[in-house]
Amino acid sequence: MIILDILKDAIFAAIAAIGFGAISRIPRRAYLWCGLIAAIGHSIRFILMQPLAGSMNIIVATGIAALVIGTLAVFVAPLARTPAEAYLFPSLLPMIPGIYAYKSFGGAMMCILGNTQDRFDYYFYQFSQNGFICVSIIMAMVVGATLPIFIFKSRAFRATR
Amino acid sequence: MTSTTIPEPYESVLHSDDPLRPADIECSSKEVCLFLTEYAERLLGSGATCMRIEKNINRMAATFGKKVEITIMPRHVHMTVWHPGIDDIYTYITSVKAAPISFSLNTKLSSLSWTVADHNLSLHEAERRFHKIINSDYENPWFTLLLASLANACFCGIFGGDLIAMIIVFVATAAGFNLKQVLLSRHVDARVVFFICAFVSAVIGATDYVFPVSSTPAIAVGTSVLYLVPGIPFLNSFNDLLYKHYICSYCRLMDAIVLTGCLSIGLCLAMKLMNVSLF
Repeated sequence: MIILDILKDAIFAAIAAIGFGAISRIPRRAYLWCGLIAAIGHSIRFILMQPLAGSMNIIVATGIAALVIGTLAVFVAPLARTPAEAYLFPSLLPMIPGIYAYKSFGGAMMCILGNTQDRFDYYFYQFSQNGFICVSIIMAMVVGATLPIFIFKSRAFRATR
Repeated sequence: MTSTTIPEPYESVLHSDDPLRPADIECSSKEVCLFLTEYAERLLGSGATCMRIEKNINRMAATFGKKVEITIMPRHVHMTVWHPGIDDIYTYITSVKAAPISFSLNTKLSSLSWTVADHNLSLHEAERRFHKIINSDYENPWFTLLLASLANACFCGIFGGDLIAMIIVFVATAAGFNLKQVLLSRHVDARVVFFICAFVSAVIGATDYVFPVSSTPAIAVGTSVLYLVPGIPFLNSFNDLLYKHYICSYCRLMDAIVLTGCLSIGLCLAMKLMNVSLF
């Protein structure tokens, strides 16, 4: 059952990455690679967050998955003569914490409308907690995905040669 | 715009220890600066990181036998090009035009910088190829609409939405994304576009609360606006931060936060209208 869940997550992540790749106009030859990298990366995060793997924290799991995505992107980039970012960003996008981001803004808005201290405290907590998790996940993603570009700099920037 | 060009006879640099080839000095710093500024502006508009822009610009400037200093600001590119050894220096500042993010353009322009360096292309040939690239950057909007809608429906699946919820999200995204394409093509302000599209998508996404047909209505409404999350500016912002482009990083982050704020306001209003609770 868990394998089916992993497969389902991987397929959804691949389609989402290709779709977001299309929005950001990646070259069509990069679609397949982009989907594959996203599927592997997102599956790793999914597995790490399962109870069998110790229910890893979402921020740490995202950082590890992003590191894998970044490494794969650097090594796949020269194969299709496309910059690593073209694979990197759409593959990372399915992990962007969008729900945390707008819950944080929603909390901020409700703070304005909250007319009692209890309501204000509750919505301020929603605003700060979701905002903190959102920023932490993005930091983990970007640091994880950018590290391989730092390490394999010459390879990463020669991909379009 | 500031320009300082002091022409000198090019023969003056052709002394024995000058590493420059005669081909390198066929173009003036002014010509090179104007070309590289336009190139950098297009690359920045396409969603490239500051690091890539610097590397590509330096690569081409070296091929043309010039030195370059570039300041990348969120709305402007400021560049100074000079010819080592002679008083031929030119500074130019250009505004960055609003353009859709395009990794295809990013790829082609990066590839052009390598072609210029590897094949020692002349400035005029580089300019010809550059204009050919920027005039051919086109993607079928219906194809993009279909893939974006599918992507967001899959997002709903990732977050645990059932098939009905995914179909609702597909329709909500198709409507909102199409509206976004139309409004942006009419040059409506991006912040207004994000607000309106989030509102429309969230109202459609919330229909599941009005006519309960799926078991995961909260996921449907929550994911119906995720296609609007400005992920690339967020990621570019942190990428620039790591390479110490702090001002650019901050501005990209602010852009992303403002757009996220606009879509959140649209979402909250739609949820209020449909009497759906966010928390």
